[in-house]
Amino acid sequence: MTGSLHRIWPIATNTVREAVRHRLLYTLLFFAVTMIGFAVLIASLSYVEGERIIQDIGLASIRLFSVGIAIFVGIGLIHGEVDRRTIYTILAKPVTRAEFLLGKFFGLLLTVWLQLLLMGLAFVLVSLSVGAPLDWGYAAALFLVGIELMVIVAVATLFSSFSTPMLSAFFTLGIYALGHLSRNLYFLGQEAEVDSVRRAATLLYRVLPDLETFNVSIQAVHGLPIPASEVAWAVLYGLAYTTALLSLAIYIFHRRDLE
Amino acid sequence: MGLSSMTDRPREIVRVDGLVKNFRPGLGLRSKRVLHGVSFAVREGEIFGFVGPNGAGKTTTLKVLMGLIRPTSGRASILGCDVGEAGFRQHIGFLPENPYFYPFLTGREILRFYARLCGVESSLLAGRVNDLLALVRLEHASDERLSTYSKGMLQRIGIAQALIHDPEVAFLDEPMSGLDPIGRKDIRDIILRLKAAGKTVFMNTHILSDVEMICDRVAIIVKGRIRYEGPIREFLREDELRSDIVLARLSGETSRELGERFSTTIQTVGERVEVQVKDGQLQSFLEAALGAGADILSVTPNRVSLEHIFLEAVEEGEKADAGAGRGGGGTP
Amino acid sequence: MPVIEEGASRRRGARFRQGLLGLGVGLLGLFVADAVHLRNPPLAGESLGDVFVPDPAVAGLVSLGFGAVVSDFYWLQAIQAAGGDVRITPELGAHLGQLIDVVTTLNPWVDHPYRFAGIWLTQSEQNVRTANRLLRRGIEKHPDDWRNHYYLGFNHFFYLLENAEAAEVLEGASRLAGAPRYLPRLAARLKSESADLEVASVFLQELLRGAQGEAARESYRSALDEIEIEQRARQLDGARVRFRELEGRDIETVDELTRGATPLLGALPSPEPSSLPASLRRGSEWIVDPSDNRIVSTYYGKRYQLHVPASDRERAEGWAREKELREAAGR
Ligand SMILES: Nc1ncnc2c1ncn2[C@@H]1O[C@H](COP(=O)(O)OP(=O)(O)OP(=O)(O)O)[C@@H](O)[C@H]1O
Ligand SMILES: [Mg+2]
Repeated sequence: MTGSLHRIWPIATNTVREAVRHRLLYTLLFFAVTMIGFAVLIASLSYVEGERIIQDIGLASIRLFSVGIAIFVGIGLIHGEVDRRTIYTILAKPVTRAEFLLGKFFGLLLTVWLQLLLMGLAFVLVSLSVGAPLDWGYAAALFLVGIELMVIVAVATLFSSFSTPMLSAFFTLGIYALGHLSRNLYFLGQEAEVDSVRRAATLLYRVLPDLETFNVSIQAVHGLPIPASEVAWAVLYGLAYTTALLSLAIYIFHRRDLE
Repeated sequence: MGLSSMTDRPREIVRVDGLVKNFRPGLGLRSKRVLHGVSFAVREGEIFGFVGPNGAGKTTTLKVLMGLIRPTSGRASILGCDVGEAGFRQHIGFLPENPYFYPFLTGREILRFYARLCGVESSLLAGRVNDLLALVRLEHASDERLSTYSKGMLQRIGIAQALIHDPEVAFLDEPMSGLDPIGRKDIRDIILRLKAAGKTVFMNTHILSDVEMICDRVAIIVKGRIRYEGPIREFLREDELRSDIVLARLSGETSRELGERFSTTIQTVGERVEVQVKDGQLQSFLEAALGAGADILSVTPNRVSLEHIFLEAVEEGEKADAGAGRGGGGTP
Repeated sequence: MPVIEEGASRRRGARFRQGLLGLGVGLLGLFVADAVHLRNPPLAGESLGDVFVPDPAVAGLVSLGFGAVVSDFYWLQAIQAAGGDVRITPELGAHLGQLIDVVTTLNPWVDHPYRFAGIWLTQSEQNVRTANRLLRRGIEKHPDDWRNHYYLGFNHFFYLLENAEAAEVLEGASRLAGAPRYLPRLAARLKSESADLEVASVFLQELLRGAQGEAARESYRSALDEIEIEQRARQLDGARVRFRELEGRDIETVDELTRGATPLLGALPSPEPSSLPASLRRGSEWIVDPSDNRIVSTYYGKRYQLHVPASDRERAEGWAREKELREAAGR
C-alpha cells in the first residue's frame, strides 16, 4: 500500500505540475475571477439586495468555471498521456494501471482544489470589498463545491479511461447536467402513473450522482442553517460515489488496449 | 526473483507462444489480424534482434510484452511471469518507439520521476540519475526542459529512463532510429556494455547493419509471421556476404588477372578500380592487390545481399498470404 | 504512421482548445454587452415580450443548480421592465408577475422581489391575485418578516375589498417582531367594517416608509395625495349639507361656503396636495361638477373613491364588468 503511494504520488504531483503549465487553466481562472469582479457591475443594476446578487454570481462562477477546468483540463491531461504515449514508459515501470489512474485522479483533484482555493479567495476579497456578509456557511458551500469537483473529476477520469477526449468532455458535461437534474427527475418520475416509469426514475436516480447534494450556495448566501450533519453526509456520499466511479474506471482501464 | 541463480542451460528470459493479435480499427469495421501466431524465445545474456520490415508487427509484439495491449490469443511471459502481471517490471526497462516525455520537465527531473516510480531509494537517487546522464552523454543538457531537446537527445533520455533502475532485461524499440552515426555508435556501445554486464537486450529494428553488428540471435518477422529464428551468422550464410573494395594504381593487366583469379568483375572508373569479392576471399584478394603495388582506398562490407535475403523473406510472406487469401482463409 | 496520428490528434486538441477559448470570450462578451444594454434599457413597453419568460417549473428544472443566478437574471429583467417612466399596463403587470414567479421559484429565499410584486401588480384583479400568491410564498419562506403580511393585507383591503382577509393577515403580522404597534388597531378597524380613508392613509404611509425605489415611493405618495384631497372634499361635503340646512338651498359655487353672514368655513382648503412643490402648482380650484353635482378639485377632476385611485378608475370599472360577466357565465 505504501509502495503504491510512492508510485501514485509522483504521478499526481507531476500531473499538477503539467496542469499549472496549461494555458487553458489560466484562461478559465481568469474568466472566473473576472466574472466574480464583474458581478459588482451587474448587481449595481438592482436597487436592492446587491450584495446578495454579487455573491450569487460569485459562487455560480466558481462552480461553473471550476467544473470547466475539471472537465476540459482534466480530460486533456489523461488523454495526453495515451495520445503522446508518455504512458508507455510509465506503465513499463512497476506501476499498475490502477496506480497510474489514481495518480492522475489525485493530481487533477489537487489541481482543481488549488484553483478552487484561488477563486474562493477572489470571492472573499470581492465580498469584503462590497461589505457583503461572510460566515462559515460560505466556507461550507465552497467545501462542498470541492466535494462535487471530486465526483466530477472521477467522472472525467472514468470517461477518459475508455473514450476520446471530445466524447469524454461531452459525457462528463452530460453527467454534470443530469446530476443536477436527477433529484427533480426523480420527483417528476414518482408522480408518473405508470409503474415502470416510476421504477425507471428511481433506478436513474440511484445510478446518477445527485449533485444538488453538494449545492448549498443558496443557503450560504441567505444565511440559512447548513447543518454539519448534512455536510458530513454529503462528504460521505461524495466519497462513496467517487470510489465507485474510480473502481469502474480502473476496471475498464485495466482491460483496455493502449494503442 | 532469483535472477542470479544461473543454470547451465541459458535461461529463457522471454517466451512468446502463438501470439495472435487482432485490431479493430473502428466501430463496425472488420477486425484486422496483425500477429498470426508469433512464437520465439530470448535467452539470458544475449542481444536479441527482432527484425522485420515496416508494419511487420514488431512494435505490436513489444506492446504485448509490455502489457500495453492484450493478445487476442497466445501467451507471453517475461522472467517466468505472465506479461499481464506487473511483478516482473521491476526487472525490465523499456524504450518505446519515438519516445515522448513530459516536455515541461528537465532531463534530470524526468529521470528522477522514473526513478521514484521504480522505487529507487532517495539516497541513491541523485547518484543514479547522474550515472545515467553520463552514460547517455546528456550531462550538458540535464537541466534544460525536454521541450528543447532534439530527437536524438530524446532518444538518449529514453534509453536512460529505461535503464534507470538497473534492469535485467532491456526492451528497445528501434533504439537507433533518428540518430546520427555518432549517436548510433553510442547506443551500440551502451547495448554492448549491457551485454558485458550480463544483461539481456531485446531490440526491434529494421536496420540490418545494426543487427549484424551486435545481435547474437534474431527473429525475423514478416507480416505478423516469424520467418526465421536463430543465430545471426547462420541466417547470413557466410558465403553470401561480399565486400566492396576500391583500389588505385592498379594496371589494367593486373586487374584482369585478379578478376580471373577471384572470378569477379573489375570495373575501372578513371583512376579508381572497383571490385566486389566474397568475404571468404577478402584476405587473399587484398594481399594479392597489395602485392601488385595497388593502393587500397576503402573496404566496405556490402550488405546488399542481406537486404536481398530480407526481401526474399518478405516476398515469401506475401506469397503465403496470397495463398491463404485464395484459400479463403482470411481472418474474420 | 504513428507520427501522423499523433500530429493529427494534437491538432485536434489544439482546435478543441481554441474553440473553447472562443466560446469563453464569446460568453464574456455577451455578459458585457448585456450589462451595457441593461444600463440603457429600451422602454419597458417595447421590451415587453422581448425576454422569454420560462415556465417557473421548467426553469427550475433546467437551471442545473444555478437557480440563484438565473433568478437574479429575471429579477434584473423585472426591475428594468418596471423602472423608468412607463405606465404599467395590465399586460406589463402580468409580465412582471411571471418574472417574479420565476424569480421566486428558482430562489424562494429572495426577499424584496415578493414586495416588488405587491407594489407593482395592481392593474387588474388577476394581477393583484398573482401578487397575493407571490406574497404568500414570501410569507412561507420568511414567516418572521411582518412586511410581506402587511403588503398582503393592504392588497386585500385596498384592491380586493376583502377586509376580513386583510384583518386576518394583519393580525398574524402584528405578533411579529418589528411590526408597527398600530397593526392590531388597524386590524380591528378593518373588522368593524368602518374601513375608510384613514385606514388607507395609515396603510399607505407605512408602505411609503418601507418603499425602496423612487418609482414605488412616488406611487404611494400620489395615492396619499389623492386621499388628502378626498378628505378635504368630504369636509366640504359636510359644510355643504349644513349650508343646505341653514339656507334652505344648495350652493352654486364652492366659495359660497366661506361667504354670507356666518360663513361655514373660514377659508377653503387647498384643492392641491400639500406635498406638491410650488413649481408644480397650477391654480386648481374647487368646483361643483355639473355631471354628478359633487364638489371636486380641478386638480384631479374627479372624486376619489376608496380602493380605486382616480388613475385606475376606468380600469376598475372594467374589472367589475368582467367580474359580472364571469359570474353571469358561471350561473
Ligand atoms: N491500433 C491499431 N489499430 C489497427 N491496426 C494497427 C494498430 N496498431 C498497429 N496496427 C497495424 O499493425 C501492423 C503492425 O504494426 P507495428 O507497429 O507492430 O509494425 P512495426 O513492425 O513496428 O513497424 P515499424 O517498423 O514501421 O515500426 C501495421 O500494419 C499496422 O497498421
Ligand atoms: Mg514499430
